Amino acid sequence: MVDWLVQNWLSIAVPLLVFLAFFMAAVWLRGVAYDAFDRWVAKARWEGSQLFVDSTRRPFLYWCLMLGAYIAVQVSVLSPEAKALAGRVLGSLFVISLSWVIARLSEGMLKLYLAKLKAPPPPTALVINIVRVTIAVVGVLILLDIWGAPTTPIILVLAAAIVFLALAFRDMVPDFFSGFQLAQGEHIKVGDFIKLESGDQGYVAEITWRNTRIKTLDGNLILIPNSRLIQSTVVNYGYPLKKASEPFRFQARLHLKELTGLRASNLPELVDILRRAPDSVIYYHTHHFLEEHQYLTPEPANDFALWVGDVLGDEVLSEKLASIDTFEFVTIGALKRRIIDVIDEYLAEKTDGRTAPEGREFHFIRSISVVLPTSYVAHDFREFVEILRKISIDSLYFHIFEAKLRLQKGVNDFSIWIEDCLEEGDLAAKIARLDPYTYTLEALRSTIIQLIEKRIK
Amino acid sequence: MEIELFRQSKATIGDYEPIVGRSTIEELRVLADKLSGKIIQNINSTATGGGVAEILEHLVPLLNQLGVDTRWQVMQGSDEFFEVTKKFHNALHGKSESISDEDFSLFLEVSRRNLNELSFFGDLIFIHDPQPVALISKKKEIGRRWLWRCHIDASNPDKRVWDFLRGFVVDYDAAVFSAPNFAQRLPIRQFLISPSIDPLSDKNKELSSKTIDSVLAKYGLTLDKPMIVQVSRFDRLKDPLGVIRAFEMAKKSVECQLVLAGGTAADDPESEVVLDEVRERAEGSKDIHVLLIPPGSDIEINALQRAATVVLQKSLKEGFGLTISEALWKGKPVVASAVGGIPLQIHNKLTGLLCHTVEGAAYALRQLLSNPQYARQLGENGREHVKQNFLITRHIKDYLLLFLSLEHPEDVFYL
Repeated sequence: MVDWLVQNWLSIAVPLLVFLAFFMAAVWLRGVAYDAFDRWVAKARWEGSQLFVDSTRRPFLYWCLMLGAYIAVQVSVLSPEAKALAGRVLGSLFVISLSWVIARLSEGMLKLYLAKLKAPPPPTALVINIVRVTIAVVGVLILLDIWGAPTTPIILVLAAAIVFLALAFRDMVPDFFSGFQLAQGEHIKVGDFIKLESGDQGYVAEITWRNTRIKTLDGNLILIPNSRLIQSTVVNYGYPLKKASEPFRFQARLHLKELTGLRASNLPELVDILRRAPDSVIYYHTHHFLEEHQYLTPEPANDFALWVGDVLGDEVLSEKLASIDTFEFVTIGALKRRIIDVIDEYLAEKTDGRTAPEGREFHFIRSISVVLPTSYVAHDFREFVEILRKISIDSLYFHIFEAKLRLQKGVNDFSIWIEDCLEEGDLAAKIARLDPYTYTLEALRSTIIQLIEKRIK
Repeated sequence: MEIELFRQSKATIGDYEPIVGRSTIEELRVLADKLSGKIIQNINSTATGGGVAEILEHLVPLLNQLGVDTRWQVMQGSDEFFEVTKKFHNALHGKSESISDEDFSLFLEVSRRNLNELSFFGDLIFIHDPQPVALISKKKEIGRRWLWRCHIDASNPDKRVWDFLRGFVVDYDAAVFSAPNFAQRLPIRQFLISPSIDPLSDKNKELSSKTIDSVLAKYGLTLDKPMIVQVSRFDRLKDPLGVIRAFEMAKKSVECQLVLAGGTAADDPESEVVLDEVRERAEGSKDIHVLLIPPGSDIEINALQRAATVVLQKSLKEGFGLTISEALWKGKPVVASAVGGIPLQIHNKLTGLLCHTVEGAAYALRQLLSNPQYARQLGENGREHVKQNFLITRHIKDYLLLFLSLEHPEDVFYL
């Protein structure tokens, strides 16, 4: 043994010295490199520096050892086969450690930057897994190459798998990139009120990497693929306006006609029954023309005026009754008294009135109102206007006519809400001053919308 | 017998949305939801033929689609029974009928039999017309809500028949009439619900110009002159001879042609006589076309109304007169007599022109034929009026409100 060492000490010492020299030089180089890196980081303030240092400092040492060992083997007297085997083992260790470092570094960087990304965040775990698998696959391919194994079939299989996956997820890709585009362009943000080509509108509730979610005015969620949203025409009204202290819940009023069985053939009979008639009868005969012919004329006459004119042929009284301004009255009782007074005054002067022909008598009808909820709720002017455009005339009618007179609020529901919950007294007063009886319901809808739009522009 | 035909209905409630708007359909769904769990049991006297069956054929499937469990049963009766109820029907219309005590006894006997044979399972039992009216006797035993729907014009009924029927009607929770003047003084609640037309039915749906042309060709008609059309069965109450006189008077100043289209009623032998009189009166005039249309020719009637320049309905007496709504729905200017339910559909000079005489009809025709812009405006208003008030969706809404209001006696109630 001693003899063998005496004879071969040079063959052992030289590789050992080479190894130690390379190792020490590498350790020194690592120290210099990291000092320079620290100085650069201090200047550049890169947030990923600590992660980089933590991930690479120790592996760097192992790589120096591996490099030293490789050079030592090459200068040794080992057989070429042994040198090649040692080179493959060391190369494999290097590839494995390098892959591990890259994977760790990538994971850390992705976590750091995905959290800060303005764009809709794709699921972090999914992206990290994709990177891990990619690095592992590349590492394995290099290892196989080092050991001389054939890699072409594996590469082909991988290429086929990639093509398959690309086809399977081809629809998602445009959405993914559109999501980035949406966010980077800053045309649409979460919280914006937007109107789509389809006419649907609402607030942007969330932008994900595939879809944009829009909460509509009736509380539904619309899910639009990002690619479709980016290609369509969208009106963006911007951020919500001031929130009302209480939301406005739209209701609708439907009505049913109840026959009283009472009928009048002449003016004395008409006024006699009127005295006994409940408010629901007066309400019906002063409002039903408005509802049933809302599209037709902005100045509907009440049924009493129409009947006196058309059937009794008394145009003077008909005109007097038609000119009673319903808008002036806050209660149906007061309106009823006015109608009776007009007929009484007329009868006091003229007693020889006509009698209606058979079949043309005045039939007294009660109005039964059924109030039902709708799904529409407005929290600000923007929502209010957009809902106002689409609610039924039954809803508009309820909040304007029924609320003021039949429910005896004295003013329409819209004005009450605008004043009490949005503190916009001037606008509330303007809407309250509109005489709704001089508009068709559609014209009334447009007028109120215009007044509000003028205020919020 | 329970009618299952409704399950084969073609139109769905969603099909009406483009016509009446989304909000109207949404309101129907809200109302229907409030009746969830209730069964509405309709009972009438015939499964096919007649206005009531036609209405139920359309309404029952649509109510079910909305989620309201609506059933339809038909009472059983002998030929003798239906002869008696036909007399009742005529008597309620004010026609003098000889009705014996045996007739009343037969009516009660058949009603008793049906009381034993029919199953009364509805939470709300909806009886249509006088034939099954006596089934109300079951109310004392089973309770529930009972409604009587009077589809006929009972404005001037024969007193004896009305008093007999009234004895049953007063036990109902409520009665429903089609026009205010059809109603009677009753101690129960009475509701006014007008009939309706179905815009998707063959009689009212949109037709291509090719279809209209083929119907015109079938009857040898051309549109080389403005066309006045009256569609009604050949009946003196529809005054076809008065129509011809009005046409002749109008034609003196405006070039036009007249189409009198209709059928004869199997249960009215006089209609053949009237048809012969009309043909004789029209003989020699190449501008008067008298068309005998077989029953079920809905597409043909639709096409004739759509081809018309002016639609005329110069009745001397009329029920509700839904042919007016049919014509208005097609955007046609209409001249019609101010009788029956017609004034509910035509507000003079707003949605059409009303007349009282032959001369008045002729004058109105001249006005419309000489002023196409005015005629078009009336037609447009008329279509809107029907859309708001006389389409089947309004009918469904009224029925749903009616069912709900039975539990709410107040003037205003919240759902």
